Amino acid sequence: MTPLLEIDGISKRFGGLLALTDVSFNVIEGEILGLIGPNGAGKTTMFNCIAGVYKPTSGNLVFTRDEKSLRINGRKPEKMTELGIARTFQNIRLFSALTVLDNVRIARHCRTTSNFFRSVLRTRFQRAEEKEIVDASMRWLDFVGLGHHALADASSLSYGDQRRLEIARALATEPKLLLLDEPAAGMNPRETRMLVDLIHAILDAGVSVMLIEHDMKLVMKICKRLVVLDHGTLIAEGGPKEVRENPQVIEAYLGRGAAHA
Amino acid sequence: MNIGKSLILLIVAAVLTYPLVPQSSDYIIHVMTLAMVYMILAMGLNIVPGFCGLLDLGYVGFYGIGAYTAGLLTIHYDMSFWVIVPLAALNGALWGALLGAPTLRLTGDYFAIVTFGFSELVVLFLTNEIWLTRGPLGLPGIQPITVNLTWLNEAWYFQFYDKTPNFYVVALLVGLVFFIMRRMEDSRLGRAWYAIREDPLAAASCGVNILNYKVIAFAISAAIGAVGGCFYARWSMFLSPDMFKFWESFLVLCMVVLGGLGNIKGALLGAVILVCLGEVLREVLTSLGLPPETRFMAYGLIMVLIMRFKPSGFFPAIASSGRSNPLLLDLQKRLAARNAPKDEARDAAA
Ligand SMILES: Nc1ncnc2c1ncn2[C@@H]1O[C@H](COP(=O)(O)OP(=O)(O)OP(=O)(O)O)[C@@H](O)[C@H]1O
Ligand SMILES: [Mg+2]
Repeated sequence: MTPLLEIDGISKRFGGLLALTDVSFNVIEGEILGLIGPNGAGKTTMFNCIAGVYKPTSGNLVFTRDEKSLRINGRKPEKMTELGIARTFQNIRLFSALTVLDNVRIARHCRTTSNFFRSVLRTRFQRAEEKEIVDASMRWLDFVGLGHHALADASSLSYGDQRRLEIARALATEPKLLLLDEPAAGMNPRETRMLVDLIHAILDAGVSVMLIEHDMKLVMKICKRLVVLDHGTLIAEGGPKEVRENPQVIEAYLGRGAAHA
Repeated sequence: MNIGKSLILLIVAAVLTYPLVPQSSDYIIHVMTLAMVYMILAMGLNIVPGFCGLLDLGYVGFYGIGAYTAGLLTIHYDMSFWVIVPLAALNGALWGALLGAPTLRLTGDYFAIVTFGFSELVVLFLTNEIWLTRGPLGLPGIQPITVNLTWLNEAWYFQFYDKTPNFYVVALLVGLVFFIMRRMEDSRLGRAWYAIREDPLAAASCGVNILNYKVIAFAISAAIGAVGGCFYARWSMFLSPDMFKFWESFLVLCMVVLGGLGNIKGALLGAVILVCLGEVLREVLTSLGLPPETRFMAYGLIMVLIMRFKPSGFFPAIASSGRSNPLLLDLQKRLAARNAPKDEARDAAA
């Protein structure tokens, strides 16, 4: 079976710094893949390459949708979104002066088409589309459990709710692959438990998930497969148990010598 | 809320009927007409810094393009005002897109400098291309606005030399622009702009093509500026390059900032306040023996004071897609209905 996303020898250089060196792995449809590694390992850089924010210095990204494989490296972020790759940000980036609903409505942009003329004339098509946008947005807000806050300002939400709103916004673009960058950061234990349920629900909705997370308990619990980066190179890949016992991984997290201790 | 609304409607109605009052003063009609020209400009400019978050210091360039387009088409081809308005808007949009497409990649301050340069370029063009614009001599003898209804009745041919009909023409244009702005504000287009203003990276991740939408914003803003210029040309019946100096851009920007960036009604109010202030200052300054240009120092001072004390302007409510939209009102009701049983349960428990 062809993987949903094939990451083939990706490198990313920032001036003299190689943030990613020849990293290869696959994302399989219907899985939650964990991407872990110590601070500065290059995890977010990997996401940015996949989401089109950075153009990889070398290597290939191949995305498969509807049985068609496309080489997608170097495409613009909006093109990636259109193809079906959505993401959240490590440091929350909401449209904070707008309402919760508007945040999600904007994400419907790539699935709708009304232009200037239709908006000004408010054609029947445009009105139907606006209604569809509100309905779809409310569906995703209810999906993450924020429906009742729809008309509140995004900035008035609690930290955990803001993270969930980012997830709703990403889902509203109708992705096949969702990239979550540290979604549990700053959440309390109750919110983290809700997040676990939410990620499973996302999977059930037919969206594959790639997850960066520092909370090892969470990662080990929900990911069947993990990829470990350290200093921009891939050092381990496999199930949670395998990875946990890998001496290179232990060394990366705890420092040299720890594996033998 | 409702009292406020009725009060505003009352004021608008009073202003609109004023020219029909027999004792009405020509001077006041003139000032009100001027204020409405600036209302058009302020609404148009509002799109770029207000909705999209980009500083535009060259707005007057498009105003000038619109005015000269109208002036030249009238003098050489004797076209009707009603044909010229869309043509001038198209010409403005064209130049907006031509300037915007290559330069909107620039960030913040660099973009502002380019727009400033553009408006200076327009003035230089108007001054030096004497074969077309007559340069510093200006364009005199532009025919006023006409309404030709002879196809309905032989006698219905009107030429608007008078102040009153011009007042109503510009009021019509203000209404039209206001209508378009309100529709754009609450649409997919407007939301894409707010997304760009709030966070370009997140906007791109939502599938918004940032450059395209900035160019669209710039072109529409330019088209509205050109419409303002178009009326101005036929109203003042004379154009010269120094009417389109940088100071005009600054004045319109002041109006937008005063009223609150991104707020359409704020822009209208800003235009009224600064036009009236301009008239007062002209009297006061000349009586003090100062040149009237010193009024720009007053505008500068106002800008500084707003930035210091009221950075979000008079109407701080930043444009967010219209709360009056029936879809949202409906949603609000549904949410209230959904939350109500919970409240009852809580009340019962207490
Ligand atoms: N735009 C950039 N320009 C220069 N260097 C960068 C840039 N983005 C990331 N880096 C560098 O690349 C390396 C990897 O950064 P990255 O953000 O991918 O790490 P991370 O694994 O996400 O870490 P964390 O767990 O702290 O989020 C770091 O050394 C960082 O300083
Ligand atoms: Mg990171």
